Amino acid sequence: MPLLTIATFLPILAGLALIAVPDRSARVAHGVSIAATAATFAVTLAIWTRGVTAGGFAQVEEIAWIPAIGAVYRMGLDGLSMPLVLLTSLLFLLCAIYSARIGERAASYVVLMLMLETTSLGTFMALDGLLFYVFFEVSLVGMYFMIAGWGYEDRQRAALMFFLYTFLGSLPLLLAIIGLYLGSGSFDMRAWIGAPPLTGLAGMLALIAMLFTFAVKIPAFPVHTWLPTAHVQAPTAGSVILAGVMLKFGTYGLVRFAFQMTPDAFAQAGQVILAFGVVSALYGAFAALAQTDLKKMIAYTSVNHMGYVVIGVAVAALAAEPRIRAIALDGATLQMVSHGLVTGALFFLVGMLQDRAHSRDMAGFGGLLGRVPWLGWAFILSAFGSLGLPGLAHFPAEFQIFLATLDTAPWAIVAILAIVVTAALYLRAIAAVFLGPENEKWSAMPDLDRREMTVIVPLLILTVLIGVAPGWLIDIIHTTMAGLGN
Amino acid sequence: MQHDLTLLAPELLLAGAAMLMVVAEMAHAARLVLAIGLVALLAATGLTLGFLDADTTVFGGTYRIDLIAGWAKLILLPGTALALLMARAEIAGRAREGSVYALIMLVTLGALMLSGAGDMMVLVIGVVMTGIGSFALVAWPRDDAATEGAMKYLVFGAVTGSVMIYGLTFWFGGTGSTLFAALGRLDGQTLVTVAGLVALIVGLGYKAALVPFHFWAPDAYDGAPVSVAAYLSVITKVAAFFAFAQALRDLPREAGWPLALALIAAATMTYGYLAALAQTNLVRLLAYSSVAQSGYLLMGVVALGVSGFAVPGLQIFGGAYVAMNLGAFAVVMAAGRALGDLEGMGRARPWLGAAMVVFLLSLTGIPPLFGFFGKLYLFTAAVEAGYLWLAVIGILNSVLALGVYLRLVVPMYRSPAGAPGQTGGPAAPAGLPLRAVLALCAAATVGLGVFASLLPG
Repeated sequence: MPLLTIATFLPILAGLALIAVPDRSARVAHGVSIAATAATFAVTLAIWTRGVTAGGFAQVEEIAWIPAIGAVYRMGLDGLSMPLVLLTSLLFLLCAIYSARIGERAASYVVLMLMLETTSLGTFMALDGLLFYVFFEVSLVGMYFMIAGWGYEDRQRAALMFFLYTFLGSLPLLLAIIGLYLGSGSFDMRAWIGAPPLTGLAGMLALIAMLFTFAVKIPAFPVHTWLPTAHVQAPTAGSVILAGVMLKFGTYGLVRFAFQMTPDAFAQAGQVILAFGVVSALYGAFAALAQTDLKKMIAYTSVNHMGYVVIGVAVAALAAEPRIRAIALDGATLQMVSHGLVTGALFFLVGMLQDRAHSRDMAGFGGLLGRVPWLGWAFILSAFGSLGLPGLAHFPAEFQIFLATLDTAPWAIVAILAIVVTAALYLRAIAAVFLGPENEKWSAMPDLDRREMTVIVPLLILTVLIGVAPGWLIDIIHTTMAGLGN
Repeated sequence: MQHDLTLLAPELLLAGAAMLMVVAEMAHAARLVLAIGLVALLAATGLTLGFLDADTTVFGGTYRIDLIAGWAKLILLPGTALALLMARAEIAGRAREGSVYALIMLVTLGALMLSGAGDMMVLVIGVVMTGIGSFALVAWPRDDAATEGAMKYLVFGAVTGSVMIYGLTFWFGGTGSTLFAALGRLDGQTLVTVAGLVALIVGLGYKAALVPFHFWAPDAYDGAPVSVAAYLSVITKVAAFFAFAQALRDLPREAGWPLALALIAAATMTYGYLAALAQTNLVRLLAYSSVAQSGYLLMGVVALGVSGFAVPGLQIFGGAYVAMNLGAFAVVMAAGRALGDLEGMGRARPWLGAAMVVFLLSLTGIPPLFGFFGKLYLFTAAVEAGYLWLAVIGILNSVLALGVYLRLVVPMYRSPAGAPGQTGGPAAPAGLPLRAVLALCAAATVGLGVFASLLPG
């Protein structure tokens, strides 16, 4: 059974079916949405049980697509993409459950979400350069309409900025793909990885093009400016997908394309890339510290966390020893997953707070822990996870990244300062919103209901599970990473 | 001779049909005129399929029946049929209705001459045939705007046409032949080569609306009926690029034409989109956008002879451009000419809105739509030909393009600010011909993108 193809196209087919049915009430739409994302999640679990193989890609599915130029519809998985695929299908399922209260043009909303799931899964699983680009680019269209249609006050401007910025960002990748294609005569990503077709100046130019594309997507300093605007204006589920899934396109591409397809150029530019990672990590933390809008604050911590991923990948390129390289890449990949879970939970929680209070300004709250203990403790746990507390999801990831950094490029360890800053900003946010004197204005605020619990609890469990026992996940990742770049 | 006539069956069928259409128009049987035209176009398309693989010439090498000419017919003939349906939707029942259909057929015949030209004289005939018919089409409404547009178009056409004929005489003098196939003999005669080349660029650049020969386009399109503007923006333009390909593929690249055309391509796409950003009249906006699209098509010509992607690029983007640009004009016909007419359209008329989004995203070059694959071939061709900088400019312009086209999408989906009844432009539903055009264009734009395996190569 072509499970990868089924998982990828099941959501969009459900969406098209929804367009076809005459009864497009909110009930039916959300029913279809939850059923389709749950089925997709089940399929990805089945894919998980099939596992990955060391060296190369597993579960490859291919059929001819554009024979004239040798583009092939080809999907496959390795230890880098498998965890991201699971993360994607989980987050989309939770978003479908969370969104069930959206009444405004529910059918269109659901169709867009399902289309986004298809493009996201396709991006992580595509093994044909052209196919990857198609999925990668279509996701922009979906997210544009998501923000423009269901966002907050300033959504039109934010959506426009998001689309133009990230579209500009993704176009250099097209040039790089054309270059790789002309250099190798095929669009086969396995061939590009196995025998990198571009060397010397061409390789460096391709690397620069790819770095630009993925830096915008990650987003890394200084091309991160679209992120806070897009996040703040996006609807809650949009923010969760944007942070939890779509930012990973950038870090995934950084490893899959830049690191694997132009390895020599990447190693040459390693110190520069590392510097960008360090600056991103520090800048993101300090910028987050300056925010009073909760959503914006979390958005900036994404810049910080993704900065660690960039550090990890750069250190892997610089590392002389395969063992250190594997540690760095394991950490970077795990960091992608942890960030998806923890930041996803935080955006959900801020969204739930906003649903109740119609405000995200932390100064306007106070003492909510007694009023809404579930929401409060969930936020506190996720915030501790985000700041890298041992025993929670980010710790094993960041620990491995810093371990490898200390071994290979000790100067870059200054990025660890960002953890202190993140700790400060989360403690400040927790104090402002949940502790202190209770603000009378919110005395009628209800705690999480069943639907919201269903969304949050799985994320919290996984946050703890990965923090305490990350072995099951690292094993998958390590299967592939142990063999990279040798 | 017998063989020649068999190969010319589509052209002969078209010419015969056009004559019949003129006769039927004299009898004021407009619907009959339309029917003859549609049947002839479909039959000619079918005939073309028979010798798509042919690579030969007729009448002593003057007219080519090859891959370029064959695909030109496959693109231009169905495109013309769609344009006829659009014209029907716009001018049904008006006086002199049938003359529009007959003129469109004659102009398409000229367009086929252009795309099959193997000889300078055939090229000139093609330019003149497309020109004269087009002037009359633009002037058809007989109001001030139409007359002004047609006049500009005519004067511009007369001047550029004369320059072209004058310049081509240099090539004739240099080679002793009017055949393009003889152009290889020009090697070394720099001055003669350049004189002819400039003339060719002026003459065909006018047809293709390349900067700086594009000035007529916005006025002519705006004065003409929208359907005629749509027709002129695709059929005669795409034919001009096939003519470029026919003429230049025999001219040595050392003559310097690739660089000259690359510079024009860069200027055309940049200027076209910048000018489009400032428009509020949708017809003028699409006019400038189609100027910009010409720049992309020209990338295919630039790479001619050194990249295997150049000719497929012209074919694929040519086909995509016909589908998506006709579609966008058809939406304008259904919605109204002003930018404000799009306000709230996406919500009031969801299918029309979705179709417009598809056409505009395809024009931008967003996958997996048809326009993206056209641009992919063209960019690949440019990079392979060593024109990386041109591909970079093309890509940067794609961002500008997105800005231009999102200016239309944003109001379509803006939440209605005032009373809900105010949105949506004229609420009259589109008639059957227009809906058919929209459906066919959208199906081609989406279908040929998603199922890209059908593309030639």
